[in-house]
Amino acid sequence: MEALAKSDFLAKGETAAKPLVLWRPTAKTGLLSWLTTVDHKKIGFLYGISGLFFFIFGGFEALLIRIQLAVPNNSFLTSAQYSEMFTMHGTTMIFLVVMPMGAAFFNFIMPLQIGARDVAFPRLNAFSFWTFAVGAVILNLGWFMKDGAPDAGWFGYAPLTTRHFSPTHAIDMWVMGLQLLGVASIAAALNFIVTIINMRAPGMTMMRLPVFTWMTLFTSFLIVLSFPAITIALVEIMMDRLFGTNFFEVSNGGLPILWQHLFWIFGHPEVYILILPAMGIISEILPTFSRKPLFGYPIVVFSGASIGFLGFGVWSHHMFTTGMGTTATAAFALMTMAIAVPTGVKIFNWIGTLWNGHLTMRTPMIFAIGFLWMFMIGGLSGVMHSAAPSDAEQHGSYFIVAHFHYVLIGGSLFALFAGIHYWFPLMFGRKVSEFWGKTSFWFVFVGFNVTFFPMHFLGMEGMPRRTFTYDGDMGWNVGNMTATIGAFILAIGVAIYFLTMIYTFFKGEKTSKDPWDARTLEWSLPNPPPEYNFKVIPTVHARDGWWYEKRHTEEIQKEQAEHAKEDEAHGGIHMPYQSIYPFLASVGILIGALGVAVIDPASTTQDPGFWGPKVAVTILGGLIMFVSVVLWALEGNDGYHIHLNEDGSIKSEDHHAGH
Amino acid sequence: MRLSQIISKFPRFLKAAAALSGTVLLSGCFWLDGPQSTFDPNGPVARRQMDLFYTTCWVSLFIFVVVGAVLAYAMIKFRAKGEADEHAEPPEQAHGNPIVEISLIGASVLALVIIAIPTLSGIWYSYDVPSQDKADAYEITATGYQWWFKFDYPGETAQTLDPTGKIINAPFSTANELVIPAGRPVRIALRTVDVIHSFWIPKLAGKVDMMPNRGNHLWLKSDNPGYYWGQCAEFCGESHAVMRFRVIALGPKEFNDWVNAQVAPARKVASADQTQAKAQFAEYRTFRRNEAGYTSAFDASPLDAWRAKQVPPVTGENPALIQKGRELFSQKTCASCHTIRGDGYIGVVGPELTHVGARSTIAAGLLENNRDQLHRWIHAPNEVKPGNTMWVAGYLANGIKLTPEDEDALVNYLQSLK
Repeated sequence: MEALAKSDFLAKGETAAKPLVLWRPTAKTGLLSWLTTVDHKKIGFLYGISGLFFFIFGGFEALLIRIQLAVPNNSFLTSAQYSEMFTMHGTTMIFLVVMPMGAAFFNFIMPLQIGARDVAFPRLNAFSFWTFAVGAVILNLGWFMKDGAPDAGWFGYAPLTTRHFSPTHAIDMWVMGLQLLGVASIAAALNFIVTIINMRAPGMTMMRLPVFTWMTLFTSFLIVLSFPAITIALVEIMMDRLFGTNFFEVSNGGLPILWQHLFWIFGHPEVYILILPAMGIISEILPTFSRKPLFGYPIVVFSGASIGFLGFGVWSHHMFTTGMGTTATAAFALMTMAIAVPTGVKIFNWIGTLWNGHLTMRTPMIFAIGFLWMFMIGGLSGVMHSAAPSDAEQHGSYFIVAHFHYVLIGGSLFALFAGIHYWFPLMFGRKVSEFWGKTSFWFVFVGFNVTFFPMHFLGMEGMPRRTFTYDGDMGWNVGNMTATIGAFILAIGVAIYFLTMIYTFFKGEKTSKDPWDARTLEWSLPNPPPEYNFKVIPTVHARDGWWYEKRHTEEIQKEQAEHAKEDEAHGGIHMPYQSIYPFLASVGILIGALGVAVIDPASTTQDPGFWGPKVAVTILGGLIMFVSVVLWALEGNDGYHIHLNEDGSIKSEDHHAGH
Repeated sequence: MRLSQIISKFPRFLKAAAALSGTVLLSGCFWLDGPQSTFDPNGPVARRQMDLFYTTCWVSLFIFVVVGAVLAYAMIKFRAKGEADEHAEPPEQAHGNPIVEISLIGASVLALVIIAIPTLSGIWYSYDVPSQDKADAYEITATGYQWWFKFDYPGETAQTLDPTGKIINAPFSTANELVIPAGRPVRIALRTVDVIHSFWIPKLAGKVDMMPNRGNHLWLKSDNPGYYWGQCAEFCGESHAVMRFRVIALGPKEFNDWVNAQVAPARKVASADQTQAKAQFAEYRTFRRNEAGYTSAFDASPLDAWRAKQVPPVTGENPALIQKGRELFSQKTCASCHTIRGDGYIGVVGPELTHVGARSTIAAGLLENNRDQLHRWIHAPNEVKPGNTMWVAGYLANGIKLTPEDEDALVNYLQSLK
């Protein structure tokens, strides 16, 4: 907190007139307040809304895929459209849905769980979101262009992505979009790591961190360590496409296998980036609704850590069929089996949490238990893939499609749905209808299983993935039709879920603080939480901090009154100023990225071919970004102080520049 | 509906589910015996992979049943009973039990060891032909193209005529139908000329990728003569879904006969009767996009259907029309990509067609090889296989237009190449 409170630039109490460009916006409502916000809760909300928007987008892509495959020899989509659908369905669901939804929870919940008033770098946090938004725009721009959307699969295996085989800008946009999402994710992850390490409330030792915060930490480390690998691969393919280098150009000795190694050494940790936040959410919900602490907290934390470590040593199980040879295949098979142990341990501990509890079956709990069942199936079919020789039959078949949807829908998505339900009262002060919540669960649960369970059999029956049509004599008709029907049931469930959420947001039943009798600090706040979060930074005395506070009210009241006085003596609650520069920097990146990915290069036959619109726009975007970052630095990390009334409302704001 | 009600209805659900799945299994056997079913292995490699699948499957199912039973018990037993119970004093705030944890970790490791041992032996077994069988192994090279497979037989020599009419010998290759000797290990070298493909014959062996600038291989053996379906299993572009092939395994004598027939130059239909020379314009069926290219008659006994294709028809061939087709093959630039040994066509970009009339399928295993389907393919290749090279670099790039008469002549010519 000390670091936040001090300004390095205006530390001498100087209130001298600042140049106009360094003016700090203070709007609390309206468009400008959203564009300039540095409040982790608002940024979390923005991540959440974007994630849900793209979820609907990706869901429609999935339905179109299922319509095409409902019957054999169908011609609902052309093969080119079908390639776009499955490429963008995968890319969207991974990078634009599950990751930002995870980021939404990290942003909103994690600082509240550790008793902080914001993340360590609030403006960097805003920059992460806006850069994410820019990446999402670039990825999806192709739908509105003649080049079409990216169509080489979410894995983008070279040399299919080289200019010879994919000459349009579709792949350029995919490459550029993913690089920007990488920048956004790494910036956000560093922010979370620093926040968790440095901004914990007094008494919040590492081994008292809520498990969701632990999983945020592990996920952030995975992001920081794995995204550079795909960034290297993306830069290399971009160089091949734009400047004629030969990383993957086969005719000049390029090695496409290099792409696969770089992609999967990112791609496998990415799987854990998608599932660890879900495990964190589950580890919060199960104890709350069992009304007892998480079973084996240290083991759950350490198994999360070992999953993170081992996750970097199993990437080649995505490449068992690439002819790695016997020894490498054996090593990766054994590593893959090993990673099943910490994953299984987590399941055991979750069941242990239920054991001897008082299970209250509210909607979040039902989604969480649904997660346990579905994740068990997905986990076990994952173990089956570690047997490399039999994986040679399953690899690239619908068996794999079944497996990872059990992990990503039955795992990640169930947990995210549970989390939205669970924290909705805290975020918006309203409680979701139990009836509609449970109805949506049963539709989602049944639809999901009807869609994806038959796919195990389709895969074993030899149906390869990413095929836009199949013949009616292969024995795949019943399975495909069932899956399509299931997909629509699932869609109905999701629709019920979202309509319920939208209704609740506007009209839902207002609820008091801590409606679930929860255990962690975020529930000590009034709902929705005020912009400064904690009236008094809490002192943590036990692992389930809020559970302890509820049982030691007198002691806590006395302690907080003292701390409130100390705070006031220090000048009140320090709040960071809003800033427009993170947004402007991202706009610069958007313009630059359009130059790199979308605008045609100047004709190479003309001389000089270099100074075409492509280069001009790219440089313009780069300049805007550079100037914004410089001004962002010059405006400094100033803030203001607020003083509170007894009831938590704001008594006054104190706008002396600097401290 | 409350969970308790659902649980009380479980027995009824289970009975209904059992009845339903029983009927489905019995009526269609829809998940066990398809042409690409891995549940029906026909060779030692696929069988080893299937055995390992069952091992992993049983271990997984066992774990699922045990852990699932405990979870289900906990869900039912520890459920709060009614409002009052929900607001009762919370249960004991227990934090875990190290003994339970350690024994469960031990049990998980044990379960994994059961999987690990056959996995390791399977990795070495499926990688290459066992050393005692090496001498007997038959070598073939398979090469992936967007979107078809080429098969080279380095051990066989094909005859062709040079421009002066002299017979010369050259390595022999074929396309999209891999003919192998049954009962012998076959070692297939895997190559690609463009992007990554993956070579998969589910009933004979799991897939191995065809990687650019990398020499992969696999081995397989068909226990008995048979006819198998194969398919590209790595996304390789627009027409990946229709990049398929067939495998025909033949007994020793039949295999030798086939090789001898294949290495010979293209068949010529003698033009005995000049009165037949006038072109007759045949009616051809039209097809929807993606319409099925197979018939159930063929699927009933595919190996016999393939055998029937090896024999030239006794009557009904029109030598004049065939000769016209032979000329069009060069005029319409077909010959710049396709080889037809003996007719002087030596293109190497597309599939070799010297004996295309003797294949059971065309267009990379997609369409049954008959007059209607062949006409469908050369009439509008892009409708059958979007983006294919014949369309893009042939028809479009060279402005090729075929009249109905041209198509008829080409169909007759290609069908005559037994």
